[in-house]
Amino acid sequence: MSSETTPAARTTGPGRLLVAVYAVFAVAATGRSAVQILTRFDEAPLAYTLSAVAAVVYVVATVGIARAGRASYWVAVVCCLVEFTGVVAVGALTLAVPEAFPHDTVWSAFGRGYGFVPLVLPVLGLLWLRRVRPRAV
Amino acid sequence: MVDALTTTIQTASLVLAVWCLVSSFRGKPMLVPHLVGIAVLEVLLLVQLVVSITLMADGHRPADTPTFVSYLATAVLAPVACAVWGFTERSRWGPAVIAFACLVLPVLMVRLEQIWNPLVV
Repeated sequence: MSSETTPAARTTGPGRLLVAVYAVFAVAATGRSAVQILTRFDEAPLAYTLSAVAAVVYVVATVGIARAGRASYWVAVVCCLVEFTGVVAVGALTLAVPEAFPHDTVWSAFGRGYGFVPLVLPVLGLLWLRRVRPRAV
Repeated sequence: MVDALTTTIQTASLVLAVWCLVSSFRGKPMLVPHLVGIAVLEVLLLVQLVVSITLMADGHRPADTPTFVSYLATAVLAPVACAVWGFTERSRWGPAVIAFACLVLPVLMVRLEQIWNPLVV
């Protein structure tokens, strides 16, 4: 990929830790939603569809941060924004109308079930991406 | 599941996490002693895997077998993955990744216990 895009490589140093955390979340969310959808989708279609969407976003974000290139950079930025919006929106909805979400998702109650990591992760992701922003964009 | 074994894994994992955090703050990369620590943790996790397989062969079944197996597989692979990470990232961020994995492992163990016996939460 093009070498002029990233002054400091995106996946060295702190970026490495960020990719690791994202990768764990991608694997965890994908595995969890796959099991939920395959074994008991009928119980909570909304919650489990949401889990699957979250899982896809984490996978794409992981790849976006890990890969070089300007396109990957913007894919990663968009994913972080989607995640942040998702966790705030779903978090607020689960507290406002709990009866609509009888089953937990990754983003329920601002990601409380996952130690609020889903809330913090996109913020850290965006901060890191801003630091390694490609020149001349 | 054997409670004592799970508790041992959690304790060992947290000790390794603290150690790696200290190394990370001191700017050290992953070194041989860290690798020994990871190896010890991996052996404990493999024992957990064998014990779980033995119990399941005896007819004990977790409440949710697919989830249980996937969590257990993730736990067993985690130390190997972070060792590889430590080799490729020769800076303070190598131990940081190991520390993160070692903080996730105790949570994974709690989840395994919950899935194995949902009544004891």
